[in-house]
Amino acid sequence: MVEQQGFLSGGWDRVTRNKRYIVWFYVLNLALAWLGAAAFSNQLHDYLDHSLLSERLVHGFDVGVLIEMFVRPEFGPVHASHVAGMHFALIFLFATALFLPGVLQGYASTYHLPREDFFRACGRSLWRFIRLMLVAGVVMGVVAAALFGLHSVLEKKALESTHELLLFEVRVVDIIIIFLVMTALRIWFDLAETDIVLSDQRAVRRSIATGFRHMWQNLGRLVGSYVVTTIVAAIVLTAGLWAWMKLVPPASVLGAFFLSQFILFLLLIPRFWQRGVAVTYYLQNMVEPVVIQPVTPAPVAAPVVNEPSSAPVIPPPLEPQGA
Amino acid sequence: MKIRWVIVLFPVVSVVVLSLLVKEHAAKAAAPQKTGTAVSAPAGRTTSNSALAIPDTTLAINSDKPMSQRVVHYEIDAKYDAASHTVNASEVLTYHNLTGQALDHFPFHLYQNAFQPNSTFVREAKSAGNRDTSYDKWEAKEYGSEDINSIEVVEQGDLTPRLKFIQPDDGNKDDKTVVDLPLAKPIAAGEYVQFKISFQTKFPETQARSGWKRDFVLGGQWFPKVGVWWHGAWNCHQYHAMTEFFADFGVYDVKLTVPQSEVVGASGVKVGEVNNSDKTKTVAYHGDDIHDFAWTASSRFKVKEDGVFQGQMGPVQMRILMQPAHWSQVGRHEKILQESLEHFENWYGPYPYKTITLVDPEPDSAAGGMEYPTFITGDTSWFMPEGLHLPEVVVEHEFGHQYWYGMVATNEFEDAWMDEGINSYTEVKVLDSILGKRTSILNLAGATMGEREEQRLTYMGVADVDPIAQKAYDYYSYNSYGGITYGKTASVLLTLESIIGEDTMAKAMHIYFMKYRFTHPTKEDFLKTIEDVSGKNLRWYFDQAIYGSQVMDYRVLKIESFPVNWYEDKKGASKKDDKNTVYRSYVWLQRKGDFVMPVDVEIKFDNGEKIREHWDGVSRWTKFMYEKKAKVESAEIDPDQKIQIDRNDFNNSYTADGHGKPARKLANYWLFMTQWLGQALAWWAV
Repeated sequence: MVEQQGFLSGGWDRVTRNKRYIVWFYVLNLALAWLGAAAFSNQLHDYLDHSLLSERLVHGFDVGVLIEMFVRPEFGPVHASHVAGMHFALIFLFATALFLPGVLQGYASTYHLPREDFFRACGRSLWRFIRLMLVAGVVMGVVAAALFGLHSVLEKKALESTHELLLFEVRVVDIIIIFLVMTALRIWFDLAETDIVLSDQRAVRRSIATGFRHMWQNLGRLVGSYVVTTIVAAIVLTAGLWAWMKLVPPASVLGAFFLSQFILFLLLIPRFWQRGVAVTYYLQNMVEPVVIQPVTPAPVAAPVVNEPSSAPVIPPPLEPQGA
Repeated sequence: MKIRWVIVLFPVVSVVVLSLLVKEHAAKAAAPQKTGTAVSAPAGRTTSNSALAIPDTTLAINSDKPMSQRVVHYEIDAKYDAASHTVNASEVLTYHNLTGQALDHFPFHLYQNAFQPNSTFVREAKSAGNRDTSYDKWEAKEYGSEDINSIEVVEQGDLTPRLKFIQPDDGNKDDKTVVDLPLAKPIAAGEYVQFKISFQTKFPETQARSGWKRDFVLGGQWFPKVGVWWHGAWNCHQYHAMTEFFADFGVYDVKLTVPQSEVVGASGVKVGEVNNSDKTKTVAYHGDDIHDFAWTASSRFKVKEDGVFQGQMGPVQMRILMQPAHWSQVGRHEKILQESLEHFENWYGPYPYKTITLVDPEPDSAAGGMEYPTFITGDTSWFMPEGLHLPEVVVEHEFGHQYWYGMVATNEFEDAWMDEGINSYTEVKVLDSILGKRTSILNLAGATMGEREEQRLTYMGVADVDPIAQKAYDYYSYNSYGGITYGKTASVLLTLESIIGEDTMAKAMHIYFMKYRFTHPTKEDFLKTIEDVSGKNLRWYFDQAIYGSQVMDYRVLKIESFPVNWYEDKKGASKKDDKNTVYRSYVWLQRKGDFVMPVDVEIKFDNGEKIREHWDGVSRWTKFMYEKKAKVESAEIDPDQKIQIDRNDFNNSYTADGHGKPARKLANYWLFMTQWLGQALAWWAV
C-alpha cells in the first residue's frame, strides 16, 4: 500500500530521491542550447573581438552600442542565429518527451531504477506520448486561442475606459485566468502521461479520459499544488535575475555564466516537482488496488536422499503493482 | 489778428492733443492687464474700419514692448461640442500688410481637412508612412474637417463665393487644406485688412497631435490660418503627412466655451472665466508674439500650477496638466521643465513668455509629444521607472521647440531640419548636461543609453536616402524624414563641434537665437551665423552634410607588426632579447564612404606609447609606418569620439589581439535565453 501523503510533499520526496534526473536534463538543456547559440556566438566574436567600441558592452551595458551592432549589415542577419536557437529549444522539448516516461517510472519506483528499465519505459511509451502530445496540443491550442481571443475583446473594451489602469488590471486578471485554465489542462495531460507509463496503457484515449476524470474530481488540490510550484519557479527566476543585476559585476562574464546556469538549474526543479505530484496522485488515487493473495509454499516432501539438501526457496512477497 | 491766431493755434493744439492721446493709449496698452474672472473683450485696439491695427499688448510676455513684428491679430470666439467633437466659431483676423506691395488675394490653411481619405496627407501617409497610423483601413472616427461657413472682408463685403481650394504642392484636387480668397480690391502696402470668418471644425480621433480621445481633446491647427508672405510670395503649403506648420507672429485673443466640468489649458495667459447658464463656461486666453494657438480640455486633468521659474525677463508660471494615473510623476515633469528652462536661458537666450503649459495627454492617444507656442504635450504612462527617461526626453524636446519653432520661427514645411533638427541637437546638449552623456535616455538595471546615440541610430538606417536640406514633404518616407531631419541634423551639428570647437558652437547658437528670434530665418541665415562666429569657411562641410547625402564611414583597414630583421634566424632568442627587437609596424586606414573629412587617429603600442596622427581623408586610403621596439597594439580613428556621423563606429578601431569578453558576455545572454526558451516550451508542451 502507498502511504497517503500530501501531493506536494510526496512529489518533493520523489524529486529529492531522484535528483540525477534533474542533473541530466540540465546537462541536456545546456548542451542543446550551447549548440543552438554557437552560430550567434561565432558571429559576435567575428564582429566584436577586434573593436574598441565593444568594450562599452563589457563595463556596463550600453544599449545603443548593442542596437548599432544589430543594425549593421556587416554584422549579418540575426535571423539565422535566432532560428538555430529556436530549433535547439524544440529539440529539448522532444528530448523531454522522449525521456519523460523513464522519469515517471523512476519516480514511481521505490528503488533506484536501473538504466535499462528507464530506457525501456522511454521506448515503450514514445509513440503513445507523441499521440498524447498531439491531442494535448490541439486541446490546449483551441482553449488558448479562445481565451486569448476573449482577452483581446476585453482589452479593447478596457481601452475605451477613461480609467487608465483598467487595461493593466484586465491584463493581470486575464493572465491569471489563462494561467489557471492552462494549468488545469496541463494537469489533465500530466495525469494521462503518468497513467500511460505506470499502467502501461496502450490505449491513449483511455488515459486521456482517466486523466480528465481525475483532474476534474480533484481540481482544487491539484491546481493548488501546481500553482505553488509555479510560484516557486517565479520566485527563483525573479530572485535570480535580481542577483544577476545586483551582485555580479558587469565585466564578470564567468560570474554571470555560473549564476545564470544556477538559475536555469533551479528553474528545472519546479516542473519535476509537478511530475512528482502527478505520480504521487496517481499512486494514491488512480492505481487499481491489487489484492495480494498470501502465498502458501507448496509442501515439500522430506528428502529421501542422503545428500545434503539446499534450504527451501521462498519467493519474496510481491510488490503491489506500480509501487 | 484774432483769426490769424486761431489759424496758427489750431494745428498746434491739434498736434498736442493727438500726441497726448497716442501717448495715453500706448501707456494703457503697455500696462499689465488684470486677470479678472470676467471674460474680457479682446484686448487692444481694433476694428473701426478706418482705424484697424494690431494690438501692441504685452500681457502675456515679460516685456514692456512687443518683441516681434506683429502681422496678425486673431480674435476667436469658439464653442466646443464635446459630444460631436466639433467647434463652431467666429474668427476676426486683422492682417497688417508689411509685404511692401499690394496684396490681392489671401490663402488660408484649413489643416483639419487633411483627415479625409483622399487628402494629400492621407495619401502620403498611406504610401510613405506616418507617425500615428498607416491607414490600413479607413474608419469614420478618423475623419476631420474645417469648413468656412462665411467670410467677410471689412469694407469689401461677403466674399464667401470667391473661396477656392488650391493645391500648390501636388495638384491633388481632392485636397482641401488650403483655400484661396481673391479680394474685391487689393490691400495696399502698409495697410490693414480685416476678415470676419464663421467656421466649423470637426476633430478626428487624435491624429498628428490634434483631435479627441475618449473625453479628452487637443485643439491644434483648428482654425483658418492665413499663410505667410515670404520671399516675395505667399507661402501656404498643403498639409502633408510629414510636414508641420508655418505662420506669422501676432496677437491671439481666444474665448473657448466648454462644459463646466472641463479643465482647460491653452497657449498664452488666461484672462477670464465665466460660467454660463447652460452648464458651460467660457474661458478667455490672450497671447502676445506667438504664431499659433492650441488648447486642450479634459474633465480629468489634475493641475499643478504653483511652480514659478524666475527667468531672466521675469517669472514664468509652469502650469502642468496631468492624467490622474500619472500624478505621481508630476514632480518629474516639473523638474525637467524647470531644468530645461534654466539651460535654454543660460545657453541660448531668455524665455520671454509669462507661462508655459505642459499637458500630459490622454493615454493611447496620438497627442503626445507636440509643441505649440507656450503650450506643449508630454508623453508618459502610469508605469515609468525612474531610470527610464522617456518623459524627460519628450518634455525637454517639446520645450526646446519654444525656441526652435516658437521664437525662431523657421518654415517647417521647407526646412524641417531647422526646427526638429536643431532642436534635437540642443536636446542632446541639454539632456547630456542634466541626465548624463551615456544615460540620458536609459539608466536602468545596469543598461544605459544616451540621447546622442539614439539620434545617431535613427540617422544610420536612412543615411544615404535623402539630404537634410529639402522640403519635408519630399522625403522618401516617414522614416527617412525622421532619421534625417532629427537624427542626422543633430549628429551633423554635434560633429561640427569637433571642427569649430564646442564653445564656438555654443556661442554661434546663442547669437543665432538672439539675432533671429521672432523672425523666419532661412537655412543660410543659420549656416552663415556659424561661419561668421567661427571665422571659418565651412562650405566643404555644409555642402556634404547639409546639402548633400554623402555618407561617412572611416575604418582601420589593417594593422601589422613584424621584426625589421625578420629574415634572421630567431631560434633560441630569449624574451629579454625580444624586448630589444625593433618592429616595423603599419597602420592602414580606409575611407569607405564618400563623405570626406579630416580625422585624427590614435595608435597605441604594446609598450604603452600612444601616437596621434592626422589624416585629411582625401584619398581612399592611407598608411602610417613606424619602426619601434614595440608592436602596434591598436589603432583608433576619432579617439575622442567627436564624430557622430560615421555610419559604422565598430570599424573605427582595430586591436591586434582579439578580446573575446564582449562577445562572450552577449553569447551568455543568448545561451540563457535559448535554455530558458527550451525549458518554457517543455513546461507547457509536454
